[in-house]
Amino acid sequence: MTDLSFTEEQRDCLQELINVAMGLASDKLARFLNTFVHLQVPAIGLVNAAEIPEQFRGQYQGLNSSMISLGFFGDGGLRGETILLYQLENAGKIAALLGYDDDATSEAEMLTDISSILTTTFLNGLAEQLDNSFSYAAPRVISSRDNDFISKLEQTAFHWQLALKVDIRYELTDYSFDCNMILLIPGEAVLKLKTILDNVLADF
Amino acid sequence: MNIDWLSGPLLQQLNSGVILLNQQLQIVYINPYICRRADIQLESVQGKDLFSAFPDAPKAWLSRKLNSVLSLQSPAFSSWEQRQYLFKLPHLRPISSANQYMAQNCNMLPLTEPTSGEHFVCLLIEDATDAYVYQSQLQQSNLQLQQVNRLDGLTGVLNRNYWQQQLEVEVQRAGRYQHPLSLLFFDLDKFKRLNDDYGHQAGDIVLIEVAKLIGSLLRETDLFGRYGGEEFAIILPDTPLQGAIEVAKRICRRVAATPIEYQQQQLMTSVSVGVSQFSTATSADELIQQADLALYQAKRNGRNQVVTYYPELIDSLKKVKS
Repeated sequence: MTDLSFTEEQRDCLQELINVAMGLASDKLARFLNTFVHLQVPAIGLVNAAEIPEQFRGQYQGLNSSMISLGFFGDGGLRGETILLYQLENAGKIAALLGYDDDATSEAEMLTDISSILTTTFLNGLAEQLDNSFSYAAPRVISSRDNDFISKLEQTAFHWQLALKVDIRYELTDYSFDCNMILLIPGEAVLKLKTILDNVLADF
Repeated sequence: MNIDWLSGPLLQQLNSGVILLNQQLQIVYINPYICRRADIQLESVQGKDLFSAFPDAPKAWLSRKLNSVLSLQSPAFSSWEQRQYLFKLPHLRPISSANQYMAQNCNMLPLTEPTSGEHFVCLLIEDATDAYVYQSQLQQSNLQLQQVNRLDGLTGVLNRNYWQQQLEVEVQRAGRYQHPLSLLFFDLDKFKRLNDDYGHQAGDIVLIEVAKLIGSLLRETDLFGRYGGEEFAIILPDTPLQGAIEVAKRICRRVAATPIEYQQQQLMTSVSVGVSQFSTATSADELIQQADLALYQAKRNGRNQVVTYYPELIDSLKKVKS
């Protein structure tokens, strides 16, 4: 079996690229939302995709949470799926900022809008760092207000070998918004990513 | 090979809608897919504001989304599952589909003109009417299955299983909000003899007609179910004992006074009714047991009458059994 694990250098490089991508994303979000957005340095973890559901079980158990998926394709065989997890309670605050209180919008629509704004701004930044560009599938609500979301996450994670877990905390001026982003990347794309990271490292 | 010639014919023949807008959300280009369906000429809308060309589009929401695409330079999406359509366009399945407008998936993409660097947003619109139609049909059959699963096949009232689930719900509600709740149990008198004398078909007709008659005497919130054989039960939410007794007496009177026609014969029947009332001490099971005991007493008293549960009934039943 091919070795999918990252060297320490590759891991540091990826963390650095993600940090920069997050910085770009928060800058764009701040301009768009007209508010100060502070992003903590995201904690990343590379884990076996099969372990993901168990890791989130405790954190979201019994809470009204939402899980929204967004698939992406890049050049050079890079592809994956991002899953954004957050508590619905948090969603209301962002929704107000985005102006979602003034017309009849369904909850599902609001959730997909929030998620696609948060994930695509980040992924666009990451693509830029990787000298790549991504195209996106339409976001889908996998689960909402639903206690069974861990089992749905299990079904999704099953298709992927490696998961890049990124814990993100967006802090806006008046409140904080916590969410978890999971980047799921299939095995062959992990190899592509490793090659890309090596190229980035070679340039320094 | 130079393929600059490709984009023109592709946009002409593409089986998806393309709308290109500038940063002021004015129309720069619309492909024939949209023009034909909306019955507009490109020349007549070019330079116009999107919402003056399509006044029915959801302005507040859509302009917010398009502005997010422009300022974040990130794509946005709209799915028919959340918003059936953005633009009122006809679809090509006018006969097989009940909905009037094309269900749409829409991608909103940020584009930059390479020489000037000017930003644009492009709407790609796909027809999702097929998916919409299948989904609606699926939902409808699921709803029908759910209905069938809840109803008694012969009489069309609730089946025992679903009725009993509803009783649990109502008992919990009554307990939580301190609301009154009453229960009626009733049984067709001498139903076995009717079956013996006239046949099971006659018995079925009587069950159907009696259920129909009683159903017409109830409120919409009352829950009427077939408990088994010729035994029926009615949950009366928000109804104190006195009200329940009145309903029971009315049922008794009307059933006894209404002949049921079967093969040119007039069949007469009657019901015996037991009434019980929820108090905080009782559970759903206890409520059923009490109504059942009262029903049994009504039978012993000579049928075609109403008996309300009282605690001594338990003792009298013991005497009968011993």
